Amino acid sequence: MYSKWTTRLIIGLTLTFLIGPFFIIILAGLSDGEFMTFPPDGISLRWYAKVFTVESFRDSFKLSMFLAIFGTIAALILGVPAAYAISRYKIPYGETIKTIVAAPIIVPGIIVGLALLRYLVVPLNFTVTLALFMAHTALILPYAVRVVSSSMNNLRSDMEEAAVLLGCSRLGAFTRVVLPNIQSGVLAAFILGFVTSFNQVPVSLFLSGPGVRTLPIDMLSYMEITYDPSVAALSALLALLSVVIVFMAEKFLGFSRYV
Amino acid sequence: MFQNNREGLALALPAAIFTALFFLLPVGFLLSEAFKVDGMWSMQGYFDFAIKPLNQTVFLRTLKLGFLVALTSAIIGYACAFSIVNLEGKSRGRVFGLVVLPLMISPVARTYAWIVILGRTGIVNDAILGLGLSDTPIRILFTETAVFLGLLQLFLPLMIISLVSAMENLPKDVIPAARVLGANWLQVFTKVILPLTKDGLVMGGTLVFTGSLTAYITPAILGGSKVLMLETLLYQRVNVANDFVSAGIIATILIIMSFSANLLLKRIAKARS
Amino acid sequence: MSDAYVSLKNLTLAYGKTVVVPDLNLDVRKGELIALLGPSGCGKTTAMRSIAGLMAPKSGTISIDGVDITRTPANKRGIGLVFQSYALFPHLSVFENVAFGLRLKKLPKAKIASMVEQGLQTVGLAHLSDRKPEDMSGGQQQRLSLARSLVMEPKVLLLDEPLSNLDARLRLEMRNELQRLQRDTGITMIFVTHDQAEALALADRIVLMKDGIVEQLGTPDELYNAPNSKFAADFFGFENIFEIEGSEIVGRTGRLTVLIDAKEGYLAWRPSAITIGSGPHQGTISSMAFAGELREYIIEAPLGQIKVTTPSSTPPFDIGSPIAFDLAIDKARHLSKNGEET
Ligand SMILES: Nc1ncnc2c1ncn2[C@@H]1O[C@H](COP(=O)(O)OP(=O)(O)OP(=O)(O)O)[C@@H](O)[C@H]1O
Ligand SMILES: [Mg+2]
Repeated sequence: MYSKWTTRLIIGLTLTFLIGPFFIIILAGLSDGEFMTFPPDGISLRWYAKVFTVESFRDSFKLSMFLAIFGTIAALILGVPAAYAISRYKIPYGETIKTIVAAPIIVPGIIVGLALLRYLVVPLNFTVTLALFMAHTALILPYAVRVVSSSMNNLRSDMEEAAVLLGCSRLGAFTRVVLPNIQSGVLAAFILGFVTSFNQVPVSLFLSGPGVRTLPIDMLSYMEITYDPSVAALSALLALLSVVIVFMAEKFLGFSRYV
Repeated sequence: MFQNNREGLALALPAAIFTALFFLLPVGFLLSEAFKVDGMWSMQGYFDFAIKPLNQTVFLRTLKLGFLVALTSAIIGYACAFSIVNLEGKSRGRVFGLVVLPLMISPVARTYAWIVILGRTGIVNDAILGLGLSDTPIRILFTETAVFLGLLQLFLPLMIISLVSAMENLPKDVIPAARVLGANWLQVFTKVILPLTKDGLVMGGTLVFTGSLTAYITPAILGGSKVLMLETLLYQRVNVANDFVSAGIIATILIIMSFSANLLLKRIAKARS
Repeated sequence: MSDAYVSLKNLTLAYGKTVVVPDLNLDVRKGELIALLGPSGCGKTTAMRSIAGLMAPKSGTISIDGVDITRTPANKRGIGLVFQSYALFPHLSVFENVAFGLRLKKLPKAKIASMVEQGLQTVGLAHLSDRKPEDMSGGQQQRLSLARSLVMEPKVLLLDEPLSNLDARLRLEMRNELQRLQRDTGITMIFVTHDQAEALALADRIVLMKDGIVEQLGTPDELYNAPNSKFAADFFGFENIFEIEGSEIVGRTGRLTVLIDAKEGYLAWRPSAITIGSGPHQGTISSMAFAGELREYIIEAPLGQIKVTTPSSTPPFDIGSPIAFDLAIDKARHLSKNGEET
C-alpha cells in the first residue's frame, strides 16, 4: 500500500529533526576554537575537559543529583502507598485525592518556584534547598503514582489474599508478593522521576541563591556571560547520560511503554 | 480484605496532604495576590494588566505559537505515526524508542542546539551565505520562527506517541477495507483514520499546546526579550519590577488554559468510554 | 449437630449496604467433603471468603472445632483456600510457591524441602519444581495451587470452583484426584461449584444455594432423587415442572387433567420419565436433537412444551409428526408450594 520509501523518508526526516541537533552539539563541543561555531574550528577535547573543572558546574551538578535522587525517593515513599490504595480500595473522596496529587502536572513550574519562595522560604525560613526538594517531590509524585498504579493494576489482588491465607501479615504480603511483581514499574517510575527532576528548569528559576543553583540554571547563567563551547560540551554530556540511562531502561524494563 | 476503606484513605492521604500543603497552598496564595491592590481586594490589577499593549501582544503570541506548534505537530505526527505503525515489530520498537528519547534529554541541551543551528554563524546562515542568497547573515535567532522550531522539536514526540498508541488500537484491516471499498487516501484519512484516532489527537494536541504555553527555556533562549511569551514575561515582571500582581495574573491565565485543555481531554476521553 | 467441626451460625454477609447472604447456617463434620452448589451470583464465593477471613461478616459467628474464629485474622485461621484464578506467585518458582507458607512458619530448611517435595509428589509435579508458574498448563497450575495449600496442613480446605478453568477431560481427571486426596488425607473440604454433575460425583453432602439462602442440604442421593423445591428439582434435571390446580396441572399455554391426589404444589418429571409413542395425551414433535446415548425431543402439547428423552438405540420419531405421550403419575415427583416434601 503506502510505499516503503515514503515510510522511510518520513521517519528519516522526523528523526533528523528530533535527534539531529544533538549530533550538532556533540560536534560543536569538540571545537578547538574559543567561540561556538559550526562546523567546529578544529577538533579537540578541551571543552569537554573544561566542563569538569568549572567549580560551579560541579556544585550545581551535585545539587541536581541530590534533588533528583532524594526527590524521587521521597515521591516514591509517598506515591507507592497512594498508588496501592487507589488501585485496591474504594477510598472516600478518592477522586479529590487523585486530583490533588495530579495537580502539579498542570501548574507551570515557574509559578511553583515563585510561590514557594514567597510563602515558604521568606516567611517560614525554609532553606532554598529544602523548598527545592519539596517542589521536586511534589512534581515527581504524579508520575510516580501513575506509573506504579498502572503496574499495580495488572496485578490481581487475590495473590495478596493467598499470601495472607498462607500466614503472611498484610505488610508481609505487600513486601513479599506485591513489591517483587511491581519492581520494574517502580524502577521505571524512579528513572522517569529522576530524569524529570534532573532536567527541570522553571521551578528553580526563582528558587536559587548564592551557591544553591541547579545544573540547568547554572548552564543558563553561564551562557549569558560567555559564548565558549563548554556549554555545548556539557549539554552533549548530559544528553549522552540520558541516552545511556534510557537505553538501559529500555533494554531491561521496556521503558517506553511507561512514558 | 480490601473492604476497610479507611485503611486505604490512610495510605493515600500523606501524598495528598504533602502536595496540598507544600505545593497547592503556596500557589493558591500567589494566585490570590493578583486580586489585591494596595492590600485591598479588587479586580483592578486585571484591568490594568489587560489594557497594556505589551501584555496583549504577549498573550496573543503565546496562544498563536501554542496553536501553530500543536497544528504542525499534528500534521507531522500523523505522517510519522502512520509510518511507524506500518513498520515491522522490531524496527517499530526501535524507531519508537528514538522518538521517546529526546523527551528524556535536558531541554537546555535540546534548545542549545538551535543556537548552533540558527545563530549568526550557524549552519543555516553558513548555507545562506554560501549559496549567495544574501550578503549578510540574516536574523533567525530571537524571532518567532526560532521559538516555533524549538517548541516543535521539544513537543513533537508527545504528539507522535499519542497518535501511535491511537493507531495501534485501530481495528485491524480497516484501512485496506476502506481502500477496497474505493476510498482514495484523502478519504481514508478523513473518513477512517481521523475519526478513529480522535482521542489520540486530542490527547497529543493538549499535551503539545499546554507544553508550549508553559515552556520557559525555549522562549528564553531562542526568543529572549524580543519574543516574550507569557512565562518569560512573568519572569521579567518579577525580576525587573517585583510586580507580583502581574505574576499572579499570568499564573492564573496559564493555569486556567492548562486546566481547560486538561478538562477537555478528560471530557472527551470519558465521552468515548 | 453435636459433631459439627466447621459451624456457621446466622451469618450475614454484605458488600457495603448490599446484603448478599442474609442468614447462613451450616454445620460441616470433620473429614467431610461438602459442595456449595448454586447458580452464578448466589453468594458462594462470598460465603467462602468469609470462612477464610477475607471479609468480615455483618453478624453471626464462624467456629472451627468449637473455637469461635469470627474475629481471628485470616493469616491466623489455619484455613486453606484454592482460588478460582489459582493466585500463584508469578515471581516465584514452583518450589518456592509451595514453600511460601512453610518459610513463614520458620521451619528448618531440610524440613521445608522434604515437605515441599512430598506436596509436589502428591499432585504429580515433582519434576517441575524449578519452573515458573506461567510456564505451566492450566491443569498443572491448578495442582500447584492445591499443593501450596495442602502442605500447610490446613484444618479446612476451601476450593472455589477449582475445576472450572479446565477442559472436560482434565476436569474428570482432577475430580478423581481431589477425591483420592480427600480420602488419603482425611481433610475437611468445602468446594464451590455451579456444576451439578461435579457436586454429585464428589461431595459427601451438597449445600444447594439460591440468592444467599440454603435451599436444600443433603447427600447427593437425596438431592438428585428427592429434591424438595421447584428450584432444587429444576437444578437436578426435573425439566418438566407443572403447577397443580385442583385436579389439573397447568402449563404455559394450557392445562391437562391427570390423576393426582394432591391439591396443590407442583408435579415434576425428568425428560427420561415421560414415555412417548403411546399414552393418553397428544402432541406434536417440534424438534429433535441427537445427544449421543439419548435423543432429546421437544413436544408441543396443549399444556405447553415438554422435553422428553429416549435411548438413541430406539428408532427416531419424525419432526412435525403427531405423537402420543404419557405423564405417568408414579414417575412424577410431587413438590409442595412451600418447599416441604409431602
Ligand atoms: N466486591 C463486591 N462488591 C459488591 N458486590 C459484590 C462484590 N463481589 C460480589 N458481589 C455481589 O455479591 C453477589 C454474590 O457474589 P459471589 O461472588 O459470592 O457469587 P458466586 O455465587 O460466587 O457466583 P459465581 O458462580 O459467578 O462465582 C453477586 O450478586 C455479586 O454481584
Ligand atoms: Mg464465585
